[in-house]
Amino acid sequence: MKVHVKAFATFREVMDNQLDMEFPEGASIRTLLDGLTERYGGLGELIFAGPDTLRDFVNILKNGRNVYFLAGLDTPLDDGDVIALFPPAAGG
Amino acid sequence: MLSKEQKERYKWQISIFGEDRQENIGNTRLLVAGAGGLGSTAALFAAMAGFGTIRIIDPDCIEESNLNSQLLYREADVGRQRAETASKALHAMNSSINVEPVFAAIGTAPVRNLIRGFDMVIDGLDNYPARFLLADAAWQCGIPFIHGAVKGFYGQVFTITPPTSSCLRCIIPNPLPVREIPVIGVTTGVIGGVQVTEAIKLATGTGLPISDHLWLLDGIRQKSDWLRIERIPTCHVCGKDEYRIPA
Repeated sequence: MKVHVKAFATFREVMDNQLDMEFPEGASIRTLLDGLTERYGGLGELIFAGPDTLRDFVNILKNGRNVYFLAGLDTPLDDGDVIALFPPAAGG
Repeated sequence: MLSKEQKERYKWQISIFGEDRQENIGNTRLLVAGAGGLGSTAALFAAMAGFGTIRIIDPDCIEESNLNSQLLYREADVGRQRAETASKALHAMNSSINVEPVFAAIGTAPVRNLIRGFDMVIDGLDNYPARFLLADAAWQCGIPFIHGAVKGFYGQVFTITPPTSSCLRCIIPNPLPVREIPVIGVTTGVIGGVQVTEAIKLATGTGLPISDHLWLLDGIRQKSDWLRIERIPTCHVCGKDEYRIPA
């Protein structure tokens, strides 16, 4: 299946703004992040605080819904999904 | 009815949307939370546009390091309260509007008391715990909350319009810890300007608010992007009744 990935703000400093990725059936957000960290050196350190623990500013949206409300890293991927990696700005 | 002076003052924007809608702006009570880079930019544009009442809330005094991004302050203002100084600067810009400075932090008094009677809120805050307090209260009171935030050359805007749009927690479920964030005036200028554009659109019924997408500025690549946002049915602020935590 094909998934479209979009990166925003500071994530663009270590990866492409957007890309398409292919995955086998049964893949999850965790599979996607594994693929991205393998492809982009420095991304793993930027987004993971430890194994299986995302840094507090990392927000991942599947088709507009934060995966926090779905199944987190275990959220399954579906063909045609748009996955956004978004580090919110906080300053004023 | 607009006075003769008001018709002259606002004639170039009356030519965009007409006298009735200019009157709507004048009748709108706008709360600006934070008088830093975003808040001072937003309050300035709002005063220029003729918002009839602007309440500006901030707990801090002006520091030298504020002068790179906070449009309303001058070197001689260092050490003065930001809310009061902003209020004087706004009144000097437009003496026909009411400006109410409040020297307080969000959360030190019941938030509903701060927003009661206001028509919309502009988020010029610099931390998520305060944003959530205010955004949740605004949602529960049915008041639009125009979220803005910056980090360096990046920024974002999202207009929360209860009861139909998503809320802030649908996008960012957990408040980020309070940290010092790099800020530059060119970014707060753009984001604060977009926030007031949203306020003007809401006040005049012009166009559609940015309420189903997050609008993102990438100042490094000079691009803007849209990030689709879906309302979360289980959200405890804007979700279905059975999931909401009573206010």
